[in-house]
Amino acid sequence: MEFKLPDIGEGVAEGEITKWLVKAGEPVKADQPMVEVMTDKATVEIPSPMNGTIDELLASEGETVPVGKAIVRIAGTGDSAAKKPSNGQAHAAQDRPTSRPSTSAGSTPAAASATDSSAEVLPFKVLATPATRKLARDLQIDLSRVEGTGPHGRITKVDVQMVYEGKQAATSRSSHPSPGTAVATKTKAPVSYVPSGSVERIPLRGVRKKIAEAMIRSKHTAAHFTYVEEVDMSEIVKMRSAAKDEAKARGIKLTFLPFIIKALIPALREFPYLNSSLDDEKQEILLKGDFNIGIATDTDNGLMVPVIKTADRKSIWDLADEIETLSEKTRTGKVSVDDLKGGTFTITNAGSIGGVFATPVINYPEVAILGVNAIRKRPVVKGDQITIADMMFLSLSVDHRVVDGADAARFMNRLVYFLSDPKRFVFA
Amino acid sequence: MKYDAVVIGAGPGGYVCAIRLGQLGLKTAIVEKDQVGGVCLNVGCIPSKALIHAAGTFWKIQNEAEKMGITVSDPKCDLGKMQEWKSGVVKKLTGGVGQLLKANKVDLIRGNAFFKDKSTLGVRSGEGDTQVTASNFVVATGSRNLTLPFLPMNGKNVISSTEALDLKTLPKRLVIIGGGFIGVEIGMAYAKLGSEVHIVEALEQILPSIDKDLVGVVERKMKKMGMTLHTSTFAKGFEETDPASASTLHLKVEKNGKAESLEADVVLVSIGRKPNSEDLGLEKVGVQLDSRGNIKTDNLGRTNVVGIYAIGDVTGPPQLAHRASMDGLLVASTIKGEKAYRDYRTVPWAVFSDPEIAVCGLSEKEATERGIAFKVGRFPFAASGRALSTNETDGFVKVLINEKDESIVGVHMVGPEVSNLIAEAALAVEMGACAEDIVRTIHTHPTLPEAFPEAVEAAYLKAIHTANVPRRSR
Repeated sequence: MEFKLPDIGEGVAEGEITKWLVKAGEPVKADQPMVEVMTDKATVEIPSPMNGTIDELLASEGETVPVGKAIVRIAGTGDSAAKKPSNGQAHAAQDRPTSRPSTSAGSTPAAASATDSSAEVLPFKVLATPATRKLARDLQIDLSRVEGTGPHGRITKVDVQMVYEGKQAATSRSSHPSPGTAVATKTKAPVSYVPSGSVERIPLRGVRKKIAEAMIRSKHTAAHFTYVEEVDMSEIVKMRSAAKDEAKARGIKLTFLPFIIKALIPALREFPYLNSSLDDEKQEILLKGDFNIGIATDTDNGLMVPVIKTADRKSIWDLADEIETLSEKTRTGKVSVDDLKGGTFTITNAGSIGGVFATPVINYPEVAILGVNAIRKRPVVKGDQITIADMMFLSLSVDHRVVDGADAARFMNRLVYFLSDPKRFVFA
Repeated sequence: MKYDAVVIGAGPGGYVCAIRLGQLGLKTAIVEKDQVGGVCLNVGCIPSKALIHAAGTFWKIQNEAEKMGITVSDPKCDLGKMQEWKSGVVKKLTGGVGQLLKANKVDLIRGNAFFKDKSTLGVRSGEGDTQVTASNFVVATGSRNLTLPFLPMNGKNVISSTEALDLKTLPKRLVIIGGGFIGVEIGMAYAKLGSEVHIVEALEQILPSIDKDLVGVVERKMKKMGMTLHTSTFAKGFEETDPASASTLHLKVEKNGKAESLEADVVLVSIGRKPNSEDLGLEKVGVQLDSRGNIKTDNLGRTNVVGIYAIGDVTGPPQLAHRASMDGLLVASTIKGEKAYRDYRTVPWAVFSDPEIAVCGLSEKEATERGIAFKVGRFPFAASGRALSTNETDGFVKVLINEKDESIVGVHMVGPEVSNLIAEAALAVEMGACAEDIVRTIHTHPTLPEAFPEAVEAAYLKAIHTANVPRRSR
């Protein structure tokens, strides 16, 4: 059978083949991972649907493949029509006659109908007549991205034409650069590095490519500024130590992150604009009722941001548990597309590695990201005394289009207020 | 003489491609070693359908006429005369193809073609070798019957479909090895003409690649006609050392591990077909084949060698004439430099059994594999006025409808004339038609195509002419 790139998640229309985990000629078991596919949301491993042998890989690493396109051919051991001998002849089995005597042979009807090995079959999900499909191909428009206006979402020629004209408009805009838009950057001549000495060229691919695109989009869209403050974490350090035994009993690794989230939620409630995004097209600011906190996570493949959903409704233990499972899933590449979606605010923890503080890049289209840094014992002046306290820098990057400096500072003050005394967020 | 394009093989892929190339104003030649029309017109689709129709007529006169009040005394079948009529049909069609090639200024070159290099083709015929040069070549050499070493064909009493379609005397006992499309079609035709027919099939079911519910209808008819089906049975060879000189053959078979012997006057071996990709010098120009000898092509019919294309059976499954023709049109456009895409949702197909089977779109299994949730609607021909009035009520139409957007995902038919009825269903699938489109299209009464909207309505429990049985959605 031909195995087609399955629907990986809501709104995912294509994926990039990042790595094949099987080779042609190799046996494969049902549910054995065959290939790593990267979407704009996550890298997923796709398992084999059956026991069999890999016949042929139909897509190469680095290739971007639309959902529904065949990526591998598997000869199944469970697939009787394909494998069992016909009249004792294994070689004859694949050439079972189809329709019409004499002219026709080969293939099971499975192959003879819609899954023809050589024909590129449009996903049955798209409703469009052959003429509309031809027009779309001529104009290089991906039908899976066109919204059909006909009954049941059918795509008409007019729909395709409209998208095409929209595309032309986008292209012509790019020739009149307007500052700060991603489109405008494309008109700049590329600056390429002229190598001297030994250079290894690594194709920009997979998660790395997506990170590059996301960062450029964020930096070119959001008007970044970073506000830095310090906070005395001594109380939280104490609180965490006090909970050590219980954490052990529960089998949970208790980090500072759950406490920080707990302190963050009431601050965000008071400053809803920090938990918002800007809809450029409609010129509207979206204030979000959910508090879904993204946790920037360092993986071997690069930065990924799994999301703790409805963090405001979770206890410190719940949060600690979820952060641990989610980051483990993320680091081992098992995170699902859904886990990476729906964030409203992001926390990035640079402190685990080092540094005083960083200036984080906003996880666009969110408008703010909180950098939490290393907690270090430092001498601080309290009253007129120099004492030792567990101090931490907080660096908050904000989209100035939505949040002004004064509001960012006020928000930070509240965050420091809650963090410096955990009783406060318990009451909040 | 340098051509823009030379097509090798004048079957339903090649001649269609050559005609279109001619229409597009390209200087075109077509090389054919035998008769224009290929297997399809000469020893395949067309002659088999003629024979099946004639046999069906004979059967009806004997078995159904009386019920309608027509008495015919002692009807006889003159097989020789039947073959003459069939040959006339073939001749008319192949002649027509020849004229069409001429009318579109395609030069017909007779002989066996082989590549000398990437732009030169040698052509060997009785009159010696010639050569033609061209910028583009289209390999459309088709396929041929597979043979088995222990069942060597002799053209006399161990035969392929080619000879089976040209028998002058009726075999008393015909044993067919291979219960695929060809075996079933030819077997039923000879059973209707009066032969005792046995079909030997290695798998558990004849037409093993087709859904059981469709095949069951045909199996019942076969048994009613007195045919014997030996499923899960393997052919092993002949007891005779020289089958050609034996008047009665004894075929050794193994059924469920037990050795048996089947008597036959004639044995038809119909176990599949293989691509004609040898002796063309393809290796010389570096055209890649897959492990089964099929020429590898991309989505536009291009081989790995620039300027060499391949279409139809020689490129592998589905080995169907109409798919070869479509390939031919696409490749002609590509050679001309037009935008062309192999972009079809379905290659419909039909088996000319009695009753016929025809399918387009996805099977239930395929739809499930693609994660499509679907409803099933069914309409039996026993409830069709037209089927009743032609005394052909076996079979049904089954429609798979996408739950999400109500589009027609697949249509499966077994019954009278379904090889014709499937065309409307294929159009529906290709157009992305929805259930509502089908039922809002008025179908002529009383006709068999009314079964299509009825089956669609049945999926929504709204069929007018059958009881609406709730079916599980999948």
